[in-house]
Amino acid sequence: MRKNKAMIFWFCMPALLSLVLMFVYPVCRTVLMSFFRVESVTATMADWSFYGLGNYTKIFGSTSFMTSMKNMLLIWIVGGVFTLALAMLMAVTVTSGIRGKKFFRAAIYMPNIISAVALATMWIQYIFNYDYGMLNTIVQFFGGDKIKWLGTDLKFWAMTGSFIFGSVGYYMLIYISGIEGIPQDLYEAATIDGAGKVHQFTHITLPLLKGVMKTSVTFWSINTTTFFLWTKMFSPIDTESSTIVPVIYLYDMVFGGKGITTRDAGAGAAVGVVLTLIIIAVYLITEQLFKGNDLEY
Amino acid sequence: MKMKKTLSLLLASALSLSLLAGCGGGNGGQSTGGSQPSGGSTSQGAPSGSGKQYDGVTLTMWSMWSSGEPQANVIEEAAAAFEAQTGAKVNIEFKGRDVNKVLTASLESKEKIDIIEDDYQRIANTYPNILDLTDMAKAVNYDSWSYACLNNQVIEWVGHLNSIVEQPQVGGVFYDKDAFSKAGITAEPKTWAEFLTVCQQLKDAGIAPIAQDSAYCNFAFYHQLVRYLGEDKVTELDMNGGWSGTKAEQAAQDIIDLIGKGYFVDGAPDEFPASENKIGFGQAAMIVCANYVTAEVNMQTGTEVNWGLFTYPAVDGGVDNASAYGGANSLAVTSYSENAQAAFDFIIFLTTGEFDQKMADTAAQIPADSRNKAPAALNGTVETLLAADKPMSWCAGINANADLKDTIKSMCVELFEGKYATGADFCKALDALY
Repeated sequence: MRKNKAMIFWFCMPALLSLVLMFVYPVCRTVLMSFFRVESVTATMADWSFYGLGNYTKIFGSTSFMTSMKNMLLIWIVGGVFTLALAMLMAVTVTSGIRGKKFFRAAIYMPNIISAVALATMWIQYIFNYDYGMLNTIVQFFGGDKIKWLGTDLKFWAMTGSFIFGSVGYYMLIYISGIEGIPQDLYEAATIDGAGKVHQFTHITLPLLKGVMKTSVTFWSINTTTFFLWTKMFSPIDTESSTIVPVIYLYDMVFGGKGITTRDAGAGAAVGVVLTLIIIAVYLITEQLFKGNDLEY
Repeated sequence: MKMKKTLSLLLASALSLSLLAGCGGGNGGQSTGGSQPSGGSTSQGAPSGSGKQYDGVTLTMWSMWSSGEPQANVIEEAAAAFEAQTGAKVNIEFKGRDVNKVLTASLESKEKIDIIEDDYQRIANTYPNILDLTDMAKAVNYDSWSYACLNNQVIEWVGHLNSIVEQPQVGGVFYDKDAFSKAGITAEPKTWAEFLTVCQQLKDAGIAPIAQDSAYCNFAFYHQLVRYLGEDKVTELDMNGGWSGTKAEQAAQDIIDLIGKGYFVDGAPDEFPASENKIGFGQAAMIVCANYVTAEVNMQTGTEVNWGLFTYPAVDGGVDNASAYGGANSLAVTSYSENAQAAFDFIIFLTTGEFDQKMADTAAQIPADSRNKAPAALNGTVETLLAADKPMSWCAGINANADLKDTIKSMCVELFEGKYATGADFCKALDALY
């Protein structure tokens, strides 16, 4: 038994070492850095000067950061509702026994295997383009005037819509795996009892998918807080307030931007800590909301 | 049992070693230059016995380009020629545009790098451990062929010359000469009044005068602000507010008037690069941008626009009616390089004569060596840079306030979208941010 314990210890060592070096250390350093005035992210601790809550005061007093938080919240709520609802709808449809299930599943998931850069370029250049984009072609076909989908008023929603398109397939697969895990006997029994498809969905599928939905919400929260590439694609060269999100604000703070050489790694670290706390809070709230509702089958 | 214990220890060690091996050597870029280890910067190899100046010297260069790009190809070619001539081998690691994200850390830790390539402003203001090149530059009479305005700017930032220009950039109004000819325009406008006349002539000839992408709205408006106020005043207003009642109102009003007169091409401000491409499609004639717009438009539209360039027009009562945007991708030597002279010689080899001309021709760039010839699409750029005294920065004045720069950028786009009735309204909205 003693020998087995030693063996377990030695086998765990590489993983533990990796975890400490690559995860625990950077996290601790980032948290610590957020309380110091630090210019360069790689500056030695000797170059740090204690700043208390100064970095936090700075970011929460910043118009750009607050705009970025507002944008992130909108993506989380609006994007989340649409993405998760559409994913659920498609998962239920695909698993309902329709013909061509494999084709639809692959087609809906396809945006996930295409590079996000290519996907964003497609939306910007072929769907939203003012002169020959698909949307304005449709608008003109019905006699309307061309719309500036990427103007300051609509750019945020154009970006969010594109992001939703690229995300639905992923959550659909999660839901499909959840639905396929529900025993068919339950549906058969419900059918014999006279329950329609809607009733089966609301009284069997939804309650039994609560665990999967909890996971989806957590994943969506992580996706939203790490939202980066779509903003870069929709506002190239310089960041714009209509598309800024906290990670972009952090990135600009830590690395500067075009023609900007001032950096503030301390403020960047504070943004990182705030985002982590948000994810933890969302996770805990979700846990509470779904607490005690786990059903076994 | 002993055997089992030994085996488990061996397995654990192997796992640890493979993990560490995976973590190590993370240079992240593509390395060329033979089978030399990427970390081997200035290692002194065995002399080949050919008696060349730098026999056995190995240099490491971190490039901002990606392997396969025209610029990267020229650098590789130059490195091969330099090795043949001097015996020094140059290992080039193509890190791509994001080289700036890793350079600071690498230079702070004195990673074995001899030459870096990046934006000259970042080299001047951000990176540690960069060598003072003043004496070396003097020894080769660098001033005689380089651009004084860019060198002076570096000296103003750092106190000495710490980089050598590789790919200079210049901004202004780039235009289609054929469109000007079609509209009967024979002279480039020098003042705002002349510019408006040119716009009207183009419009009368059925050509939209100005293309404008939203990505460059702040850059275009910055020109107008700098003409009226100068960069220092713009920076001051950007930091503290107080735009209302200044000439910024007139600057904004000028843009609003351009919109009112219908001088922007349909769809402007459009999403980059849709509007600039309209010059390639013959739908628009002018754009305020930097020189790379010419190569972008030619490549994206598959045309060869007959490009011209004129300095942004002077305005009535302006305090800075002459400056033009100037910038550069430059090369620098690390202060801890063991072969600094060889590194400097390679830089000069690359940025002068044959290889500089090749860089200008294949990558459609302004030559770093002013004795070379700019490609046809960049006619006039060498002269503009040589004539400039001090370059205008890339929106530094309206990017100075880190908390507001994103909002101000969006407001600049709104200005070009026609969301403000008057210049005073625009300035009032700006002041409301403070």
